[in-house]
Amino acid sequence: MTAAVVVWRLISLAVAVAFVGLWQVVANAKLVSPVFLPGPDRAWAALVRGFAGGELWAKLVGTLQHMALGWLLASVVGIALGALIGSSRAMRAYVAPTLEFLRPLPASAVIPVAIALFGLTEAMALCVIAFGSIWPLLLATIHGFAAVEPRLYEVARALGLSRAAVIFKIALPSASPDIVAGMRLSLTVALILSVVCEMLAGLDGLGHWVLLSARAFRSADLFAGVILLGAIGYLTAQGMTAAERYVLKWRGQGH
Amino acid sequence: MNARTGGVAATASRGGQIAFAGVGIELGGKTIIENLSFAVSPGEFVCIVGASGCGKTTALRLAAGLYRPSRGTVSFSGAAMAGPRRDIAIVFQDYGKALLPWRTAAGNVALALEAAGVPSAQRAPRIDALLDKVGLPAHGAKYPSEMSGGMQQRLQIARCLAQEPAALLMDEPFGALDAMTRQGLQDEVLALVGASGATVIFVTHDLEEAIYLGDRVIGLLPHPGRIGLDLEVDLPRPRDQLATREHPEFLRLRRELFDFIRTSEA
Repeated sequence: MTAAVVVWRLISLAVAVAFVGLWQVVANAKLVSPVFLPGPDRAWAALVRGFAGGELWAKLVGTLQHMALGWLLASVVGIALGALIGSSRAMRAYVAPTLEFLRPLPASAVIPVAIALFGLTEAMALCVIAFGSIWPLLLATIHGFAAVEPRLYEVARALGLSRAAVIFKIALPSASPDIVAGMRLSLTVALILSVVCEMLAGLDGLGHWVLLSARAFRSADLFAGVILLGAIGYLTAQGMTAAERYVLKWRGQGH
Repeated sequence: MNARTGGVAATASRGGQIAFAGVGIELGGKTIIENLSFAVSPGEFVCIVGASGCGKTTALRLAAGLYRPSRGTVSFSGAAMAGPRRDIAIVFQDYGKALLPWRTAAGNVALALEAAGVPSAQRAPRIDALLDKVGLPAHGAKYPSEMSGGMQQRLQIARCLAQEPAALLMDEPFGALDAMTRQGLQDEVLALVGASGATVIFVTHDLEEAIYLGDRVIGLLPHPGRIGLDLEVDLPRPRDQLATREHPEFLRLRRELFDFIRTSEA
């Protein structure tokens, strides 16, 4: 780590500390009623209490599970479907109008439909999360497969590569930067929809916790939940960055 | 027997390892090549030159089996070509597009061995030997983006040699390289091909390069592409960048080729 990087890290840390400090000052001065805004001290205490009682653990695990399952389902279906559509010009022409119709559909509008089909169940949440988070990934994958260098397909023909080898050794790695970028966007959407589904269907998770806390005016618990959701978003994004760096290490310098 | 010693032009019209017989091809509704016939003997090094639009690259792609002729036949070792085959390797001009950027140099060579079903245990020593052969030892772990243009083209040649081809087709392989790199690679290709005994068709727009490398130079006429000139190059081997290029025969051939290109463009 160079000196400049250390300095930047220290500054960003200082900004975060200053923000928490300001929050404490505002809370202490009671500029906002403590019923609605707890200080960081009370939020932290609620966090510790929640984990000690095990209740918050269960909620955290619930949300992580919703997010991960929905995201994985979206990833598997999105990559497979994207590969199929992206590698055929005819398929792109046939399917594109349908996709353009479905894509801007807000996932929240799909929730009543999913509830009617599946009831207030985990299956409903899984479908909604997967449906909502598949789009960035699907479109990125289609683009990635459509943009494979045609010369590489000729190389594959000249070398006599099998059909499967062309997909797994040429097309998939070539599309991987797009796929990874799409998966990163999908992950964010999956977290949002997990919270929404938990709120609407009363499924075990931080969304439900946050909603109940707000209704009961337990602002410290509410903030504890929000802080955890922020931490999930931050840590999963960091994890994606690390995974991206590993998978795309060939892009290295110059790109 | 050895084609390099010359005296092969007489066999050119029939037989040969790679044979074009009355080949014509339309691409995008346009006739690119019409009634093209020539044959290349085993081990022969044939260069194809011609003004732009004469279909040199198309001819090479027909020889590789990447295109099917609209008329006539392209045959290899007596059998009509049904498509690309592993014993015919093609070196593309745009090495930057023909290499897999996500694979290291060793990985790119490995692709040819994987395609041929070479067991993984046998790959490493063969990859090392091939990289060594093209002057890239100790570069196996580098990605193409970390290599110069000349090194990337060497790598593509190594991948083609991994196919152990009976015929090597090269499409202006040195067109994008600087003069010094180009001369070095010309000599390396002559040495590699001489050692392997492969038949070579080498497309270039550099007339001196064609004479320097070839046993024979075919000049194509444009619109549509057809044969305008078939010159035998009777220059001693091994070729030498200075002595060969100063040889009176080299200068005579050079004059003849230049005149041909000038009249074909007029």
